[in-house]
Amino acid sequence: MTEDTTPPTDRRTDTTTSRLSRRRVLATTGLAGATALAGCGGLFGGGDDNQEGDDGDDDEADPDVVGYAREGRGLPGGTPVSEMPELSGQLTVYSGRGEFLIGTLMDFFREEYPDFDLQIRYGGAADLANQIRTEGQASPADVFFTVNAGILGLLANDDRLQSMPDDVLGLGREGYQDPDGTWIGTSGRVRTIPYNTDELSEGDLPDDIMALPEQDALQNNIGWAPTYGSNQGFVTVMRLIEGEEATREWLRGMLDLGVQEYSDEFRVAQAVADGEILAGLTNHYYVVRVLDGRPDAPLDMTFTENDAGSFFNVAGAGVVDSSDSPDMAANFIRHLLSAEAQDYFARSATFEYPMIPEVDPIDRLPGFDELNPPDLDFAEFARADINETITLMEEEGVL
Amino acid sequence: MAIEAGTHAEPDAGDGSGDEKLPLGLTLLAGAVAALVVLPLAWLVVTAAGIDPESALATLLRPRTLQIVVNSVVMVTLVTVISVVIAVPLAYLTTRTDLPFPRFWTVAVSMPLVIPSYIGAFAFVSAFGPNGELQSLLAPVGVESLPSVYGLEGTVLVITLYTYPYVYLSARASLKTMDERLIDAARTLNHSPREAFRRVVLPQVTPAVTAGSLLVALYALSDFGTPAIMRYDVFTRVIFVNRFELDFAALLSLQLVAATLFILAIESRVRGREVQSGGGGRREVRHSLGWVKWLATAACGALVTLALVVPIGILGLWLVRAGPTGDSGRFSIVYVLNSVGVSAAAALVAALASIPVAYLAVRHRGRVAAVFERATYVGYAVPGVVIGLALVFFGARYTPAVYQTLPLLVFAYVVRFLPIAVGSTRASLLGVDPDLQAAARVLGRSATGAFRSVTLPLVAPGILAGAALVFLTTMKELPATLMLRPTGFETLVIRVWRAESAGYVGAAAVPALILVLVSALSMVVLLSQEGGDAVSPGAGETGARSDSQQTGDTADTPPQSGESGP
Repeated sequence: MTEDTTPPTDRRTDTTTSRLSRRRVLATTGLAGATALAGCGGLFGGGDDNQEGDDGDDDEADPDVVGYAREGRGLPGGTPVSEMPELSGQLTVYSGRGEFLIGTLMDFFREEYPDFDLQIRYGGAADLANQIRTEGQASPADVFFTVNAGILGLLANDDRLQSMPDDVLGLGREGYQDPDGTWIGTSGRVRTIPYNTDELSEGDLPDDIMALPEQDALQNNIGWAPTYGSNQGFVTVMRLIEGEEATREWLRGMLDLGVQEYSDEFRVAQAVADGEILAGLTNHYYVVRVLDGRPDAPLDMTFTENDAGSFFNVAGAGVVDSSDSPDMAANFIRHLLSAEAQDYFARSATFEYPMIPEVDPIDRLPGFDELNPPDLDFAEFARADINETITLMEEEGVL
Repeated sequence: MAIEAGTHAEPDAGDGSGDEKLPLGLTLLAGAVAALVVLPLAWLVVTAAGIDPESALATLLRPRTLQIVVNSVVMVTLVTVISVVIAVPLAYLTTRTDLPFPRFWTVAVSMPLVIPSYIGAFAFVSAFGPNGELQSLLAPVGVESLPSVYGLEGTVLVITLYTYPYVYLSARASLKTMDERLIDAARTLNHSPREAFRRVVLPQVTPAVTAGSLLVALYALSDFGTPAIMRYDVFTRVIFVNRFELDFAALLSLQLVAATLFILAIESRVRGREVQSGGGGRREVRHSLGWVKWLATAACGALVTLALVVPIGILGLWLVRAGPTGDSGRFSIVYVLNSVGVSAAAALVAALASIPVAYLAVRHRGRVAAVFERATYVGYAVPGVVIGLALVFFGARYTPAVYQTLPLLVFAYVVRFLPIAVGSTRASLLGVDPDLQAAARVLGRSATGAFRSVTLPLVAPGILAGAALVFLTTMKELPATLMLRPTGFETLVIRVWRAESAGYVGAAAVPALILVLVSALSMVVLLSQEGGDAVSPGAGETGARSDSQQTGDTADTPPQSGESGP
């Protein structure tokens, strides 16, 4: 099969067709062609692996998607799967991360361990968390894996997660795990401001998120996705750092600025690339994904400094308290922090920040140490009550 | 108009089975069905009851909550009214006039029902949204922007386009079986065609139109996807936003249930005028439209273009742009089989369960029967998210053996879509003369035997039509499927939803198109059944009825029928 998984298939630009035909050629020429494409991909700042990364998600021409060196990139550092305890038996994972993003990685685990019966229930993160809460102690879930640490915190607050062994917790980056060891970050994403490079330059945007509502140039020309979990997480951070009153003021300011509402952040990034709006508020990878599908799009992103606007959030996993096989569940999570998995998270369709220091993000992104996240205890964020944020947003007429 | 409550409350002494008031077995059966489908709502009540009343009241009276109520009411009203305005003339055109290619138009204007409204919404945003396909198309001729598709207008447009067929199908069926001689009679009495339509046709189709409108209104009220995509705040969207607060979601859901009960009450008033029609209507008289014919054809064409060509075109576009193989590497025929399998099971169970409820309601008018019947409607308006949560709660804790198994999933579908089957079965029972069954009783058959050998064959087409509609609707169902399916059980809608919500529209195209195709096939079957007579509340087998059965000329017809009769 010649699968051409162009992740964020763009339905708008006229460059799509030509890109498509190039890809078709590519499918027949395999990896060598991929390098060539990367070479002529031009505008996509980084290097070969960027172009590669997107095609690679579940590209048939590349059976080695997970765990092996690819163009322009050496073997990933960290602990390889081969050095981890084996997985076997039956395990049920409730995954708030979509199959399109992690399916390949899960298949990789299945292939590694023929005796491992991995059942994955994909769904919305909040829906699945609610499902576990509603199921009570009868929940079939062993592992909860999701994009949003806040939702892990929600389950942890309900005492629905149990602690993992230290040798699993020790694998991830310090600070991005629950103090009680009930969940651990498996990959990260940073908040960013995408902007349209035809109309704006980086200097036109503030490096202070609180100053954003004062940017008159963005009047009716900035977009966000207020119902989206990541955006609500961002407002939560603002609440924690700046206080409730300043957050309300900021939200009101954004409404006065005529902020446009979208249903998710990918659409926000698309809209910026289309010139429908000049700038937006999204996670970093939506920008990368749009550029990945449309290398010519007039789109770039900028980061604010040490405030909610540059908050670094993590996807993560925890062992459900009612699990019958907590040891295997923890071992599964250990595998999410393996060299192969971390490399996969960095380069697959989401282009996330790996959570083990040995693996770097894609070249286009600033390194982890170059980020300027706010000075906030991550655990405090994870424990914060998202409902207070939602109520606040409702009261200000945002939701 | 005639206050039907009085009529309904009266045990229908003249229904040909005077020896029994409420047959015990039937009543228990119908009651069991009603109780089972209302059961999930108990979870709502239990959860909502846990909230401190003061804060519950404060929540319900928040300006924002009130705004949601207003938004929902406005949206549902507009969708329902516009659906009737579109569907009734359309039904008349395709059954009673010399519109060219009536069979083609019948199929074409029914087809929007096979497209899930949220796929329609995605497609409309893609087509007509800012910088959408249409705008790109028009950009060279200087069109800078189009009117926004978002908000109330877009929501009403999309939901109407994908639900009006409920009204169309029932109106069509009732027009097909209408006794043409009544119109002749009216014309003989010097009524103009328009007046004959108003005084004869309209009262005859009103019950069917009302039943269809009820489905439209309830669908609109419980639709989540479309308002979410169209950014219009209604109950379902707000429940979704507040899904971390189960109790608040439960409270809003109860409010939603109250809205449903309100709609049911309205429907009940309108239905009071219902006619238990005899046969007739065999004579096909088609009114000549003259030059209006072409105008009507153009209108039908425009409607079909908007409702079918646009979304299918957009899906095709996504497919083409995703490349020749698109998502097929991750696509499997199993998804199709799974979708068809559970939908068929849901259709079968719903059809069987609808029989006792509908039979009791038609033959034994009275409070009990009416309550049972109405109870089956409640699940339809409770959002799938809420039904799903309720069954997760009950299932995991109290019936772990069936939790996340297919039987519980099918049960959820039946809870949600039983009214579709009940409506259709009920309508077809109305078309069967109770005297026939009474005659069989006289000839020595047991009640059940008489039902099986006389009534059932007559109403089978109606039951089948209801089952087909349940099948179609189940194929499209999303939220309950997400929560209750067995882990690893994948259906077409789940594939579509997952691809869409991850932004992989190309990957959504294949399952979406297959979904539409399978549904379309079942719709064709539905429409071609009985040689086109089909979707049939009451449409089939009229020949079997005694021809002397005229509306209003038998003792057992409810008194209201006098209003519509000569």
